[in-house]
Amino acid sequence: MALNLFKIETAEVSSNASSVTFSSIPQGYTDLVVKFSTRETDAGSFGHFGIIFNSDTGANYANQHLRPDGAAVSASSSSGSNYIVASYGNAAGSTANTFGIGEAYIPNYTGTNQKRVNIESANETNSATAYMFLTSGLWTSTAAITSITFKQTLTGVFVANSTFTLYGVL
Amino acid sequence: MAIRSLKSGTFSRSGLVGNSVIMPGSYESIASSTLSSTTASVTFSSIPSTYSHLQIRISSRSSFAFASMFDSYLAFNGDNTYSGYKDHILYGNGASPTTVTASSYNLSYTTPGPTQTASVYNGVVIDILDYANTNKYKVAKFLGGADLNGSGNIVVGSILWPNTAAINQITLSCDGSFITGSSFALYGVN
Repeated sequence: MALNLFKIETAEVSSNASSVTFSSIPQGYTDLVVKFSTRETDAGSFGHFGIIFNSDTGANYANQHLRPDGAAVSASSSSGSNYIVASYGNAAGSTANTFGIGEAYIPNYTGTNQKRVNIESANETNSATAYMFLTSGLWTSTAAITSITFKQTLTGVFVANSTFTLYGVL
Repeated sequence: MAIRSLKSGTFSRSGLVGNSVIMPGSYESIASSTLSSTTASVTFSSIPSTYSHLQIRISSRSSFAFASMFDSYLAFNGDNTYSGYKDHILYGNGASPTTVTASSYNLSYTTPGPTQTASVYNGVVIDILDYANTNKYKVAKFLGGADLNGSGNIVVGSILWPNTAAINQITLSCDGSFITGSSFALYGVN
């Protein structure tokens, strides 16, 4: 059977929000995908937001990143983090009407292994400087994922018209 | 055939167990084309605005002879003002990765031609999120390239069209022309 996506839920921010949560995620799919298009209120051209699972705010996450910006490629990593970095996000200092986009792929979210997520995002700003952000993230819990929260990690919030769409994969 | 309940994840031989609604998948084919002759460009027009997102899948090869794999192009709503777009890519060819920016709508370094290994076509997947949201400039992200059986390219990138109009037309082109056997498919993602 061909791989297909099944929409579970769409969340569109109608007024400033510091986080967006998908809860009570059905357990019958193979994998999960979240597509997002966001803008934030942080000062500067870029913000910062992350993902946590099952409301776990502990230091139970690890990250591997690759960040090309059109001039240089940088790589970074972290462990014992409180979230997985999802994207830099277009912020208040970036050109009006620009929103960052991205996609998170979460394989085997109901399995008994530690949970992983691969994320690719792009933050075009209508200028020479823009970030792509490629992440391989780990949540060290073996629990099935029942909720996903996208949360701001600086001082900003998601602005209106930011969208998140959660899909199940079969 | 066992039927899986999307609600509980359990399997049953009965469609009545936990499957009150048969849900269609979120991908819908809008249009596709496989070229039977060399063609300069492919246009998807009258794209409905009813989906959440769009995805384009390409397998193509160009008639353009160049020492290395070259570019294809992605234009929206007939706006082929090359410098009116912005793009950024991360590009690898087996050596050190490189990142490049330009004012263009390039799917850079993704397309093989007659100078490259015969019969190799590229693979490119392009995602365009919130393509009909008139509050947003439009952004596409893509993953593409081709392995030439000993060399090749892999490219990830993004292209900004600084326009809030809903996308109702997409034109794909390349240096030279797309050759026979090149295929293009447009999907709506609910």
